[in-house]
Amino acid sequence: MLRFILQRAFYALPLILVIIVVMFTLLHLIPGDPVQALVGDYPVPPAYRQAIEEKYRLNDPFLTQVWNYVTAVLQGDFGYSYQNQRPVLGLILERAPRTILLASVGFAFAIPLGMAIGVITGTTRSATTDKIWTTSALIAYAIPTFWLGQLLVMFFALRLGWFPTQGIGPLVSRAHGFDWVLERGRYLALPALAFAIHEGMRFARIMRASVIDTLSQGYIITARSKGLTRGQIIRRHVLRNSSLPLVTVAGYAFGSALSGAVLLETVFTWPGLGLLMVDSIRLRDNLTVVGVVIFSALAVILMNLLVDILYALLDPRIRTGG
Amino acid sequence: MKSMLRQSPTIFELRVASILFACAIGANASVAMADDGKPVTGGTVIAALNSTTIPTLNTQLTSSVPALFAADVWADGLMTYDKEGNRLPRLATRWEASADGKTYTFTLRDGVKWSDGKPFTAEDVVFTLMTFGKFNTYLTKLVPLVEEASAPNATTFVLKLKQPLTATLDLFDKEVFPLMPKHIYDGQDVATHPANLAPVGLGPFKFQSWASGQSITFVRNEHYWEKPKPYLDSVVFALIPNPQQRMNALIGGEVNWFRPEVAQVRATQEASKRGKFKVVQIVNNAPETAVVDLNLTREPLKNVKVRQALFHAIDRERIVQDVYQGLAATAKNAIPTQFKDLHDTSVNYDTLYAYDPVKAGKLLDEAGYPLKDGKRFTIELTVIAKPPYDAVAQIVQSHWSKVGIDVKLSALDQQIWTNKVYTQRDFDASVISLTGRTNPVLGVDRSFVCNEGSVPFANPTGYCNPEFDKVALDASAAPVGQQKPFYKKYAEIIARDLNQLALADSKVFEAVSTDLKGLDAQFNFSFNTHPNWAEAWLPSDKQ
Repeated sequence: MLRFILQRAFYALPLILVIIVVMFTLLHLIPGDPVQALVGDYPVPPAYRQAIEEKYRLNDPFLTQVWNYVTAVLQGDFGYSYQNQRPVLGLILERAPRTILLASVGFAFAIPLGMAIGVITGTTRSATTDKIWTTSALIAYAIPTFWLGQLLVMFFALRLGWFPTQGIGPLVSRAHGFDWVLERGRYLALPALAFAIHEGMRFARIMRASVIDTLSQGYIITARSKGLTRGQIIRRHVLRNSSLPLVTVAGYAFGSALSGAVLLETVFTWPGLGLLMVDSIRLRDNLTVVGVVIFSALAVILMNLLVDILYALLDPRIRTGG
Repeated sequence: MKSMLRQSPTIFELRVASILFACAIGANASVAMADDGKPVTGGTVIAALNSTTIPTLNTQLTSSVPALFAADVWADGLMTYDKEGNRLPRLATRWEASADGKTYTFTLRDGVKWSDGKPFTAEDVVFTLMTFGKFNTYLTKLVPLVEEASAPNATTFVLKLKQPLTATLDLFDKEVFPLMPKHIYDGQDVATHPANLAPVGLGPFKFQSWASGQSITFVRNEHYWEKPKPYLDSVVFALIPNPQQRMNALIGGEVNWFRPEVAQVRATQEASKRGKFKVVQIVNNAPETAVVDLNLTREPLKNVKVRQALFHAIDRERIVQDVYQGLAATAKNAIPTQFKDLHDTSVNYDTLYAYDPVKAGKLLDEAGYPLKDGKRFTIELTVIAKPPYDAVAQIVQSHWSKVGIDVKLSALDQQIWTNKVYTQRDFDASVISLTGRTNPVLGVDRSFVCNEGSVPFANPTGYCNPEFDKVALDASAAPVGQQKPFYKKYAEIIARDLNQLALADSKVFEAVSTDLKGLDAQFNFSFNTHPNWAEAWLPSDKQ
């Protein structure tokens, strides 16, 4: 297993390098002026432009910039964000936990939700039940997350007043201990719910297809003929075997969610990586953009690795190479 | 030449004296706070700003909106404006100009301290001008004219100019010229100094902390000069980039203040009927005008008849009603009506270029662009893809299409748009809403004065008219009271040449929680300054 992990890490390195060069090139090609972004909508005084360009070496030749950046990244230095006036790595390490928290809680609800709906619709003998659940899941999945988020805010925050409309916590708070956790939980609830509904419905559709496929397998007929009850068959055979495609999709989805659910973070003003990315692109803070992209790539690679390991745990045939 | 202040020092001194007298008898806030009771200390106001990333708080270096709103809380200047447009003393208690208009003498408030407790002196004013002048987009006009800036004593700042500049005092209001502490910046790289993100200032509140992507907190500045203000313990800026979320946060009671976007004002007014907050119109002494810039270096826009036709073809009242929901007025001429002493009503676009598609068609025929297969020519109309610009551009596109012009609309990211219009000058027509300042020299001129370089947010149209440039220069140098004829000529030339089509002057509104008291006094300012929260207070039961 260790060899397998090391092999994957070795393959990931050139991929990261390619990502850095491609991102640098793309950002270099996009028109934009970071100094103008600093000043706003008035002419930039020449002296100020010169000071900023010299300080951040914005006028170095492109290839020099790429070379300096790549060698710095290999030494753990992800550059300096001139729009945030701090090192990019610190910025990412500060924002990433917020995105991970949102994605984790969202997935913690999305997976059981998706599995439950998938099993219900995949195993039901009632065509009506199947249609109702399948159609509902499809509609919920089709609703864009930013709109779903707004609907949740309108109903649960503005009409019922149960939750705050945005943010990751109160800006002025005297809460401590468990009260503090509860207070933070109220801010997490709506974005996590929007996340869970959207991803959960995707998982439900995959789970349903997988359950139907599993039910047609020979070992299910064997289990039936052995006299196992419907519940026993679902628990012992269907759930485990049908989960494999879900693990794959959920793994990839979680990996990409770690790069920041851009729309959701914008709708709920959740200052994670997604919001950082949007701001950095707007302000042409290129090193931050590349930094977030590297983090995202690493997250996806890591999640793929975890998926492979989970696969091996769930399916003995993979573990034993059978 | 008479200087603006030489004409009325006595009146000014009387006004200052009356203010001081009112302070002395403790009645300074009684009018505004009559219904609110006696101010009590304590509490926090949470104000929503429109970005999660603010690269610098130092408004000597930026004109970005969130930084400007924050600056009024932590910074202060020599003077400011009330909503009548009157100059009010801040750290300068009086000022006077010499008869030749070349020397300005400011008397500074004595005993004032920076938020870190160090004394504020005239040396700080000299330092701010001479060090930040070259980095400040407005002061770059003044700095080349400075012969000497000096501090003969701790409370006197003297500015000697090589030639008179009538807008000089406008360059010393607290927004354009926030004062910077010499003891913090002296001898260091001011453009990237850490204090630009953790400032030391003279405002009612001082910087405390910055929660990345979430909020910036300012707490009461115990050294603030205007005792017993401020009353609040702290001002927290919530960083909320999405306009809908800013409004939601106010309705949900999570913030106490925000400035609605144009398209949100009506909805905010509707939501305010529940009584939790009120919507206040900020008197617009400095204009914000939606315009179409035309590229005069390209066919067919080189032809003045085409430009006149394009203006006649736009129903500007429709823009006022549909985009600004009636909360704007059609622009009357190049000098906005807010400049009451400079705007000449005899030049009026409403009559000169009244909406008349038939006349527009005739002008285009005369210009050599008759209808062929229902079309005359094609132009690209470029715009930043965000409100209200995009909505304005869509209406312009639709109106121009009606007279047979094929309009390709390019709605772009702001950085790409800036590059295309100002750096590359690769555009036919471009919609933007430009913010002015308290004097045409500081804002309006940039749309018309020749700009042969590629400086962003300055005349991108290729319009270079020496006759106009001279009028603009003469207007800027003319003494107060004698400027209007120059600005009339200024407006006439632009009305004739039309490198820019002025569409609508918008109004500005802010929404503020009714829990806060002292709001009448707090909101007694003009557009382009912002609430500094020194006057506002919260009753004990709301803290």
